[in-house]
Amino acid sequence: MTDAKEHLDKIMQELRRGTITIGALSQLSEPQYGYSLVTMLSDKGIHVEPGTLYPLLRRLEKQGLLESKWDTNESRPRKYYLLSKTGKEVFDLLVTEWKSIAASLDQIIENKRGDENGDD
Amino acid sequence: MEMINRYIYAVTQKLPQSQREDIAIELRGLIEDMLEERAGQGNGKENDVEEVLLELGSPRSLADKYRGKKKYIIGPELFDTYILVVKIVLIVMSSLIGIGFIIQTILEPMSILDHFIDMIVSAVTELPQAFGWATFWFAIGELYGGTKQKDLIGKEWKPADLSPIPDEKRQIKRSESIVGIIFYTIIIVFLAFSNEYFGIWVFQDEFNGVVPFLNEQTYGSYLLFIFLIFGAGIIKECLKLVAGKWTYRLAAYTTIVNVISMAAILFMISGPDFWNPEFMNQLVEAGVVTAGSEAFDTITTIWNQSTFWILILFIVGLVWDPVDGFIKSRKK
Repeated sequence: MTDAKEHLDKIMQELRRGTITIGALSQLSEPQYGYSLVTMLSDKGIHVEPGTLYPLLRRLEKQGLLESKWDTNESRPRKYYLLSKTGKEVFDLLVTEWKSIAASLDQIIENKRGDENGDD
Repeated sequence: MEMINRYIYAVTQKLPQSQREDIAIELRGLIEDMLEERAGQGNGKENDVEEVLLELGSPRSLADKYRGKKKYIIGPELFDTYILVVKIVLIVMSSLIGIGFIIQTILEPMSILDHFIDMIVSAVTELPQAFGWATFWFAIGELYGGTKQKDLIGKEWKPADLSPIPDEKRQIKRSESIVGIIFYTIIIVFLAFSNEYFGIWVFQDEFNGVVPFLNEQTYGSYLLFIFLIFGAGIIKECLKLVAGKWTYRLAAYTTIVNVISMAAILFMISGPDFWNPEFMNQLVEAGVVTAGSEAFDTITTIWNQSTFWILILFIVGLVWDPVDGFIKSRKK
């Protein structure tokens, strides 16, 4: 059982890597700073470690999908991230891709269940 | 607070200078946000800091995530060959140092302690040097190989680009290169550190010393060339080991390396001070031959012509190597 758990952890890690990008992009039509994004995603059921999200935001900014601005008016300086024009386009495309993947996988999984039930 | 500072320092220390300040401010903000949230839930303060830092993970792994890609001096592609070469060089050198100690002790058993100290000193100074040089050249190779890979990604790959499986004659046997590296290492160590034993060994009842082939006064200045010639040989064998088969490019590299070796040899061997100028006299003094005898004349002739023949031998070897490479590269 612990063996299965280990495998699951590894595969889930790989699986999450991509979905976190979609999750982060989805919330950034309004400017957000890193930790507010962590909380927002967490409230919506997507758990992401700050240690993963912060570097990811930087990478997306470097790739040009996000724009950033420092806000120094608050009690502590915060870096706000916002979707760029390219980022918006990419996000829309990603959503389409994701839906098609999810649909296909759903179908495959459901079919399999159906087969198994039929055998019983 | 001190622990937070330490954490941020540990992370940013592992990042490029240009990003350090920005990430440090962001990271501090994050940690404070996380602490604030926890404080809302009402916990002891010192404990909170530890929990937050644990959640962020070790500074090393966080820095890795920020960097995105790992950096290597010697990457995974070259690593196996690198380890192989380092092993060969270190094993050969340590055995030579050991053998040197044994021979010296047999020849002069009285000063065994001196020989032992010599051995330790050699091991401590020469082994790290060899390790360092091997690492240095592989790091250069990695730098060069890295850019080459970047160029390749730019081009669109087609199945037609697949190179045919090399003909057996075109393949370079690993064992061949390994023997080569062992051979060059032995020569370097021998010539560089025990050149006084490179000569005619005189035994009369017991060991009476060596009549050296080389001129001991000028030898030190030639040492650089020795390293250049045989070091180039080791580099050449490493290139072969990495390539695994003969290609025009490899043959071209071999040519370049051998031309450099050849120039060094020509320069060194043709200089008047390279060989021991007193060789014949010392032979007579040591009682190996008597002046004026037939044997004396024969040895004098051989001695005087040896430069020429050694040169021919080297040139044949150094020319044959790349020629052979080009011929084998042509085979498809």
